[in-house]
Amino acid sequence: MECRQKGYTVVVEATPGMTTPEASRAPFPASTAASPPWVTANDLLWLLYLYPFRLVARLLPRWILYGIGRISNPMVQFHARRTKAKAAPWIAQACHTTPARARQIASQSLSNTMFRTLDALLLARPSSDKMLCCTAMDGFQNLESALARGKGVILLTGHFCANRNALRYLAAKGYRALSVHNRVPPNHAEGRFGRLFLKPRAVALQKSANSDQVYVEDPGCSLSILRRLRAGGLVCIQIDGREGPTVPEQLFLGLPWRIRSGIFELIRVSDCAVVPMLSLGHSSGFQIRFDPMLAIHPASSREAFVAANLPQFLTVVENQIVENPQEWRLWNHF
Amino acid sequence: MESFLKDAAHPSRDTMDRIRRVFIQSLQLNLSEEDFSYEANLDESVGLDSVAVLDFVAALEKEFGVEFEPEMLTIESVRNLKELAAYLDERTARRDPGAAQPR
Repeated sequence: MECRQKGYTVVVEATPGMTTPEASRAPFPASTAASPPWVTANDLLWLLYLYPFRLVARLLPRWILYGIGRISNPMVQFHARRTKAKAAPWIAQACHTTPARARQIASQSLSNTMFRTLDALLLARPSSDKMLCCTAMDGFQNLESALARGKGVILLTGHFCANRNALRYLAAKGYRALSVHNRVPPNHAEGRFGRLFLKPRAVALQKSANSDQVYVEDPGCSLSILRRLRAGGLVCIQIDGREGPTVPEQLFLGLPWRIRSGIFELIRVSDCAVVPMLSLGHSSGFQIRFDPMLAIHPASSREAFVAANLPQFLTVVENQIVENPQEWRLWNHF
Repeated sequence: MESFLKDAAHPSRDTMDRIRRVFIQSLQLNLSEEDFSYEANLDESVGLDSVAVLDFVAALEKEFGVEFEPEMLTIESVRNLKELAAYLDERTARRDPGAAQPR
């Protein structure tokens, strides 16, 4: 049967996964190789992480796990040197900083991403909530006043390393937030072994680190989000995923960026509140900040609604990133 | 939810026609209502993505003047034409108790 469907898909997160120097050699945006090799170096690293290291990490205290992370850091930095070199000019341009500072930010971002990966192992433990140490929570009244409207709240943020810690902490305090992800995050460095065997395991680990999530690939995803919003609950959206051929390209951090527009339809249908959230740090000490609700501009059509609201959403997340560039984990992803 | 499932075998044909029309319009399909059997699932012939489902539900809510209850906001609930029609019959009857239900 012939049919024509509108060309966009819901929301949201392009969860970046396993970045290696091989990714850095891909054009920007990275292209998918027609026939990837059976096994790559990236696959072997993930095999180590997902099996022996994950099993050992169940028993190790956090300080030992972090110690292993610090020891491994120089190797990780060396491994990703091309990716970082590629990211540095972009960082310098987007953050209006010097090349030297940009290289430093690229290294810090990579290091924080690695600690996020270690935190995922801690969060997969049954008693992980006790290990989360929130050192500061600012603007909580902004969240409460948004919740008081009774129409649900979208927590708007970017791909920050501490998001998962923050969401787990909030859930433990009674503020569960549905998190939206890609089931199959793009990874241009993986081989066929990684794609077939390791990726499902990585998704399972992600799920065990935060089970309250939905996947954009599922046809029921938007209804799950709407259900949570109509129940007056929370949904966390990372709007800076770069995977949506859905609205005309926007400039984001100085680059053309394709933002998925499904979030705006959800906002239109649910009339929910949108509260910017920023989380920074590691599981051993992180901060959460909620900014005041965004003013949503009504519009007669879907396209006009996106046009009226998208710029302020992007500005909010851009400002979060520029203020805390070392905490954003997509610098080294492309 | 159980009450409308009991009537799912005899939902209003008018409601089913309206649902089919809304489905085609909201997804901008080049199909006719007859392409969708009363007995089949709506997504049997047309692949649905997440936003298409949301568009469909939003269009149904507008067409019937009701808001779906949270437990109905699942892909399983909105793909079956008969069950969907029975639910909307029940919701509109609840909203307009005096309204006659065409069969």
